[in-house]
Amino acid sequence: MQGPTGMDSSDAALVARVLHGEVNAYGALVSRYRDKYARYAVHMLGNREDAEEALQDAFTRAYRSLARCEDPERFGAWLFRILVNRCRTSGARRVRRGQTFVHDETALLNASEEHPAEQTMWREEIERALGELSADQREAFLLKYVEELGYDEMAEITGVGVSALKMRVMRACDRLRVLLREVHSA
Amino acid sequence: MPDWGRTTLELMVQELQHPVRLDESFDRRVMVRVRRLYAERRRRGIVGWLGAAVNITRRPAWAAALAAGVVAVVSAGIVRGGGHPGTLSTGETIPVQFVLVAPDARSVAVVGDFNNWGLGDTALVAVNHNGVWSVSATVRTGVHRYAFLVNGKQWVADPTAPRAAGDDFGQPSSALVVEGSSQ
Repeated sequence: MQGPTGMDSSDAALVARVLHGEVNAYGALVSRYRDKYARYAVHMLGNREDAEEALQDAFTRAYRSLARCEDPERFGAWLFRILVNRCRTSGARRVRRGQTFVHDETALLNASEEHPAEQTMWREEIERALGELSADQREAFLLKYVEELGYDEMAEITGVGVSALKMRVMRACDRLRVLLREVHSA
Repeated sequence: MPDWGRTTLELMVQELQHPVRLDESFDRRVMVRVRRLYAERRRRGIVGWLGAAVNITRRPAWAAALAAGVVAVVSAGIVRGGGHPGTLSTGETIPVQFVLVAPDARSVAVVGDFNNWGLGDTALVAVNHNGVWSVSATVRTGVHRYAFLVNGKQWVADPTAPRAAGDDFGQPSSALVVEGSSQ
């Protein structure tokens, strides 16, 4: 992959440059994966503030452990695994604090600017329904349907067996159907 | 899966797949943390990881202790007005490993006062291990100056070692203290 300056801008090349002391090359990796992974963190944690903190922490941890990235060509997948773990920790901490799952205020604000009021309500319903799922089910559902990963990839990232993941996805779908139907019939 | 459920879930997924955009201030915040970590590594003399930065010297663990000694002895030398490099030798020789990470280099040699600055083919020629150049040599105890000679012409001081006071040949050089086993 060639960047605007003609330099190789593949993940592997950027990782190599960072490992050779060119710390600013890490900025290109941050820009590349920032938005892509923000979506997962926002939906998993339910608010932008926690999501940004988790994502920042994942990038920092990845930098600190960069020499342990065995396949720099797949830096993105390796970073995502760190983020998934970080979201688990953050989610567990939030549960201990007794905090409720809240929607992404910024996303809702944006939605209300671009879409009619029904769209905003629909978005709120979705976020609320997601928040009703257990963390395991939410994680499996988001990875499978929103991030569109295969079960093998999900197993690699989460460390959970394929059968268990399929079960979580199925239960998440069942639960979401019930929750959304309740909203519609209310 | 019933049609109603499938449609609802599909609509839900479609909504959730909308991109979430973070602004550039996020990048800045991350890079502030990263640069802080980088600076911390440099301060602790761990610049880089296994590979380290270009032109960075790495030594085995025992050499870290020597590096600490360099600072102490050279500083004391300045205060006392003594400790001139090459003057504290006691005759005992100690093995020292010189390592430079320079992936783009075609050759690396070590020159110093302990090998007459490479004159008469006495330079220590380093061996390349995937961009990590290393060579071992026995050096007499005492305070020494040295530098890396890259591609036969580029004079490079060791960034992780203290800079020697005064520049031999108008080129920067690094200070090295080799302490004997009884010191």
